[in-house]
Amino acid sequence: MSSATTDRQSSGLGFVGQRVKRVEDERFLVGEGKFIADLNHEGMLHAAFARSPFAHAKINSIDVAAASRLPGVVKVFTGAELNAVTNPFIPFFTVGGLYTPLYSCMSDDRVRHIGDPVALVVAESRYIAEDALELIEVDYEDLEAIGSIDAALKPGRTQLWEKADGNVLGEFTDTFGDVDEAFNQADRVITKTFDCPRQSNQPMETRGIAVVVDPTTGHLDIHSTSQAPHFKKWAIAAMLVKDSTAASLAKFARNSERRSAFLAAAKDFVAANKEKMAQQDNSGMVSQLKKDPSTMLHQLRMGAGLLAADDYPTVMAADIGGAFGSKGPVAREDVAVAAAASELGRSVQWIEDRVENLLDGGQAREERFTMSVAVDNDGMLKGLRVDAVLDQGAYTGFPVAPALIALLWKVYFPGPYNLDAFEITSKIVTTNKGRVVPYRGPWANETWARERMLDLVAAELGLTPVEIRSRNVMREGVSMPDAFITGPTIDETMSVAKTFDRALEMIDFDQLKRDKADAEGRGHRLGLGIASYHEAAPGPPNFFSSVQPGTDLFVYEDGRAEIGTDGTIRMFTSQSPHGQSHQTTYKQVAADEFGVKMEDVEIVWGDTDRTQFSFLGTGGSRGGPMGGGVMRMTARELRQQVEKVAADMLEASVDDIDIIDGNIHVAGVPSRGISYADVAGKVAADRNITDEPAFMEAMKYEGVGNGGWSVATHVAWVDIDLETGEVEIPRYLVVEDCGPIINPGVVDGQVRGGVAQGIGAVFYERTHYDDNANLMSTTYMDYLVPTAMEIPNIEIEHMETLTEGENDARGTGEGGMIGAPAALTNAVSDALGVQVTEQYLPPYRLLELAGVIEPEK
Amino acid sequence: MSQPSVSAAPGETIAVNLQVNGTSHSLEVDPRRSLADVIREDVGLTGTHLGCEHGVCGACTVLADGEPSRACLMLAVQADGVEITTIEGLATDAGMHPVQQAMHDAMSFQCAFCSPGFLMSTVALLRDNPEPTEAEIREELSGNLCRCTGYQSIVDGVETAVQLMGGKSS
Amino acid sequence: MKNPPFHYHRPATLDEALALLAEFGDDGKILAGGQSLLPVMALRLGPPAHVIDIGTLEELKSIEVSDTAVTIGAMVRHAEAEHSAEVAEYTPLVAAALPHVGHRAIRNRGTVVGSIAHADSAAEMPAVCLATSATMHLASAEGTRNVAAPDFFQGFFTTAIEPNEILTGVSFPAWGPTTSGTVVEVSRRHGDYAMCGVACALDVADNVINGAALAFFSVASTPVRIAEAENVLLGQAPSEATYQAAADVVTDTLEPEGDIHATAAYRLHLAGVLTRRGLAEAHDRIGVPA
Repeated sequence: MSSATTDRQSSGLGFVGQRVKRVEDERFLVGEGKFIADLNHEGMLHAAFARSPFAHAKINSIDVAAASRLPGVVKVFTGAELNAVTNPFIPFFTVGGLYTPLYSCMSDDRVRHIGDPVALVVAESRYIAEDALELIEVDYEDLEAIGSIDAALKPGRTQLWEKADGNVLGEFTDTFGDVDEAFNQADRVITKTFDCPRQSNQPMETRGIAVVVDPTTGHLDIHSTSQAPHFKKWAIAAMLVKDSTAASLAKFARNSERRSAFLAAAKDFVAANKEKMAQQDNSGMVSQLKKDPSTMLHQLRMGAGLLAADDYPTVMAADIGGAFGSKGPVAREDVAVAAAASELGRSVQWIEDRVENLLDGGQAREERFTMSVAVDNDGMLKGLRVDAVLDQGAYTGFPVAPALIALLWKVYFPGPYNLDAFEITSKIVTTNKGRVVPYRGPWANETWARERMLDLVAAELGLTPVEIRSRNVMREGVSMPDAFITGPTIDETMSVAKTFDRALEMIDFDQLKRDKADAEGRGHRLGLGIASYHEAAPGPPNFFSSVQPGTDLFVYEDGRAEIGTDGTIRMFTSQSPHGQSHQTTYKQVAADEFGVKMEDVEIVWGDTDRTQFSFLGTGGSRGGPMGGGVMRMTARELRQQVEKVAADMLEASVDDIDIIDGNIHVAGVPSRGISYADVAGKVAADRNITDEPAFMEAMKYEGVGNGGWSVATHVAWVDIDLETGEVEIPRYLVVEDCGPIINPGVVDGQVRGGVAQGIGAVFYERTHYDDNANLMSTTYMDYLVPTAMEIPNIEIEHMETLTEGENDARGTGEGGMIGAPAALTNAVSDALGVQVTEQYLPPYRLLELAGVIEPEK
Repeated sequence: MSQPSVSAAPGETIAVNLQVNGTSHSLEVDPRRSLADVIREDVGLTGTHLGCEHGVCGACTVLADGEPSRACLMLAVQADGVEITTIEGLATDAGMHPVQQAMHDAMSFQCAFCSPGFLMSTVALLRDNPEPTEAEIREELSGNLCRCTGYQSIVDGVETAVQLMGGKSS
Repeated sequence: MKNPPFHYHRPATLDEALALLAEFGDDGKILAGGQSLLPVMALRLGPPAHVIDIGTLEELKSIEVSDTAVTIGAMVRHAEAEHSAEVAEYTPLVAAALPHVGHRAIRNRGTVVGSIAHADSAAEMPAVCLATSATMHLASAEGTRNVAAPDFFQGFFTTAIEPNEILTGVSFPAWGPTTSGTVVEVSRRHGDYAMCGVACALDVADNVINGAALAFFSVASTPVRIAEAENVLLGQAPSEATYQAAADVVTDTLEPEGDIHATAAYRLHLAGVLTRRGLAEAHDRIGVPA
């Protein structure tokens, strides 16, 4: 049933760069994947959450007596009960000027969005748990709900959080260059506001957590649909700390072994990161403590508890059915279920259902941008001012706060265009809505607003979208600076311009004219839209310090390679795959380095006991460049160690050793080769080891070079039936450059999937809250994930620029989603002859914009 | 050939004979339980996935007497005596079913959570229409949602399967 | 999202089913294909206490053809009707509607009559009943009765079915060679409930419209047939202008409401557009074998 891999070494070719079929398919396509709901643990109890039907309400009382009495119910925890045994979510990520309200894993006195959890039922089956939910009586007292950015910005409305200033949690401004000068000098200033409504990541598998409690030790094995299992482990461990700070510190002080180990590790960390730590921006913590000094007390309690703890949970992520950012955060449910299991001393699992997922499984992108562009009449851009607002919903996402998105806008907004000056002010507002999480290219709306604005400016100046981009785009050797105005350095071969130029070559503008006329003849309108962008994938070394000094402490990638005494090669990654084909691509990389077949390499992931710490896990389009990079470097290092031993065994010079298909031999004499097992066996015998690897190498990888950018230009052709507002996309073209491709089949899939989500965002999907923050899209009948009938074939042109070295494969997971909304809304604008300023365009809205029907008041 | 009447109060179970992938399973089932839950939990075949549990996403699609059906929108008691085929029933000792092989060749899936539904829908489609057009493929698969791929690779997979199964290449 | 507990009954005969309904009345609910009922139950939206599964009742599984009508039994699944040569030949509007119903997997399990009894005003089959002047066959322990389509649909998910009754079948009048019809609709995604749709029929001989039917769905709490618009067509030659005249009456008559997918103005506009398109397509289908 295998045959995923072919023998390429002997033909002198590597696996990297080949369209190698996926090894993951060997289990998935026969139904043998192990997703969280498939694990089938013995004696597992099932959890269900009672959730608020109110957007904003006070809880006067909660009665779980009847639910508790239901046969098959093991325990009903009220919110207060679970909150009493857990620590709150405190901000992991802060920004000067931002206040992050603390919150507990459950709500006990007040609910702040539809779906807010107020009680947790643990029962023998999910059926019974849901029966019990119907018996829970909660007395809610309705409060005014904040349902929109406008309402949140209005002073004097009901506040979600007492300590906040109204419903604005933070506001921060960053300025680059002399903005006043740029605006004064420019021929004109054009201003427009762009609105993007709420969307949702919607992976096909919902979230889930299964907490297996060891009945004797109390150790928690936490199976989780997590993009970042290591962070989840420490977060849950911290939030389950029960001892007081003093008690923990006393315990820690008594444990001299632990104490000296910690102090040594801390010393090493400081030594290694002195420079970054010195740059760390602490203004955010200052803002936070001004508003809520208790943050520090919670932090100390959790920190001390972690120092003193005798045991930490193990987190394991097996197969994950998609995430798109939504499974990166630690959610309230994770903590609640872990606490419930821990309290009961029994194993408990929660498998989120689709309605829950639509209520609070992750939402994104409800943002508004007022852009002012200072521009000369010839179309040369001079300056840009952006006033941005992000609706983060009620509870701040953890650990990646939505405020990070605003900081990414700060770095990205000018895009690949030269500007003299740029200023952005971002406000974070809180509303009675679900949790905002990162969603594939979390900052993507900067590309949408910018590329839309460019078309709008062009129209005002009598230029075409092509002309305005051609005049302003950074060009290698002509107008390519060393760094963006916002900080990050540019590797000059990173060229959006090349993708833009190539895209123009692939558009037949004469044919477009004929197609437009033809469409008009059919009562349709056809338009073309172009959008370009760059993304840090992973970005240059100063990317994260440009976002916020100090955040670069967390963005290295660890990896480990081992060769067992039997010669088995194991690669340990801290990535947490959920569709990106890591197993295949890392095998490709490692097999090439080791000179073996792909099936000779085992990839290990997802288990915090076996892999090294990673803050991010899988996210940020880093799996290829960073995860793949560290696989390559560790494999290379280990091969050198193997070659040394082999050279001795073969009585040859290390320089003469060659390895093909696992045959380690003196170059030119393959018939007298030895195997990895032979070499490992020799090492094992010499060192008399049995239960540890013969070879092991662990590395911390921080990327290479000044580049790490992925770039692309998207072109969309959109055909609109002017009678019905129905849309067709007769052609969609992506010209992209993510450097040398490890596996084109995988890259194509990532690009197309991203574009499909962009198409969904523009034409189909909306997490629809009404003005009173009631959620109207609570099922898949109303949240419209597009089908095979709505998504067209997507044409991809790869550029594959080679830059600095072999690890310069760059990430490609997010780009499709970044470019698509811009290209599509630009195409709609072109088709209808109207400058669209909103991202969500269902058929009725298209006809309103076209003037066919009257807009709804 | 009317069958005897059956009745069960809440909490009571009913004897059900499920034929899954050619194997007979005599089970006592709470009538409210979905076919999907019973296949996954009682029969132990977890390849059939639950994505939405209200009949939209199609991940739970199985063949019921050969016809693609939502296992989340059938009670297990409704499947008494019905021949059920799941994703686990496609491959044989000789290897993957041609549709599985084709989806592998075409690199159709990513997270693959939706794949059981697509595979079962495709098997039925190609049985009834061995040489579908791209438009027919897209229409027939429109009851299955995929969030990762943008569908093109899945359509390619179906077209590859047509070739593997002896139909004309498209 | 798991079904709530209920008392399950699988009667062996229709009489047994009727006896159960007589006993439970409002607390009883018929389970046929389950494609409408089971999602409602999984979402725990007003679950019934007693579920009466009629899936094994052989007497409800046939499509019967007489000189005047095609009668579809309560356990005939959409897919069976969709593939039925008789349905296509004698009641082409039903055949035209079926591919619009959900997706393949839904049509494989869901029943034509179940969809009618469910009476979702956004669904195709209730509108087809109105457009074809179908007859609903109801049975209870006390006997049987027939209800004409216009009297059957009474409101959102509300029909003339009494708590003790089963809709055992629906008869669609058999059409002659001068009549045909079609269903046209606009939905957000393929297979979704329409934002607006129309089941329409035309009887045209010697280039004169002798009969017309326009039944709209997803525009009100029930499907809506608009006689005034049909009257505009009668005696006229089929033409775009004629269709437009009917469409104008339609948009003057309907008063749809908006929701998150379609504004009221958009729905009304679609009703006009679809009137024109539907009538033209219905005319094209006359005399063309299905």
